[in-house]
Amino acid sequence: MSIALPDIDEVTRSDERVDPERPWQTVVWNDPVNLMTYVVHVFREYFGHPPEVATRLMLAVHHEGRAVVSEGPREQMELHAQAMHDYGLWATVQQAPQ
Amino acid sequence: MNRDSPVVLEISVIEAAHLADLVGQFAELLAESPTDGSLLPDDPALARLVPDAYRDDAAAAREFRALTAADLLQRRQDEAVAVLQDLSPDGEPWDTGGLSDDELTETVEIRLPRARAQAWLRTLNALRLVLATRLGIDTDDDHDDGDPRFGIYDWLGYRLDGLVAALDA
Repeated sequence: MSIALPDIDEVTRSDERVDPERPWQTVVWNDPVNLMTYVVHVFREYFGHPPEVATRLMLAVHHEGRAVVSEGPREQMELHAQAMHDYGLWATVQQAPQ
Repeated sequence: MNRDSPVVLEISVIEAAHLADLVGQFAELLAESPTDGSLLPDDPALARLVPDAYRDDAAAAREFRALTAADLLQRRQDEAVAVLQDLSPDGEPWDTGGLSDDELTETVEIRLPRARAQAWLRTLNALRLVLATRLGIDTDDDHDDGDPRFGIYDWLGYRLDGLVAALDA
């Protein structure tokens, strides 16, 4: 089995804090405006989650102040954040903590 | 859940007129706020509609905003205009001046295909975000029962909640 090592020239982002080993995340933050029923609906509609998963995520946002709603490549997480902003939810993108 | 059937929104004439007024103001606010996309809008209520996507990386947040903000604000405006059309199918603004109490409380049925109902949800929610910014709502406890603007804010929430229930039923 050969292991393909990434060529240093392929690294296009120069941010030194970016560690290619760690996935990216879309995080949704709590705010006092968005209704709980609306947030559940958005998670169902956009991510296609069943009601119980959408509700669990919403409750995590509500009680813990934030929840990771998706994990994967950075570009994908930015698309999710943009979609959340479209619905008026406050979402950010970050690299998974160490 | 039938994902194809339209939802029917039932509101009174007076509510439809008030809502059209609010949504019309929102559409004007958006129209008057040219953005080149890279800048945070000066109006904090509009800024709330295009929040920072990176908390600890100002450069990445700026880059993200440059790519997405103009499109997001344009969508808010397009959807607000669509809601206005649904509220006044004949294209005329509501004129409730000469209506009796009975006529004002008559029910209007608005049939919304699901995709259109999503536009309504986003518009009602964006309106609440704008009002919340104007009212200084920063925590769950920021509420002044004596201020009629909070009544409008709560009413929008009530209608949004009803529409969500109809869509998820």
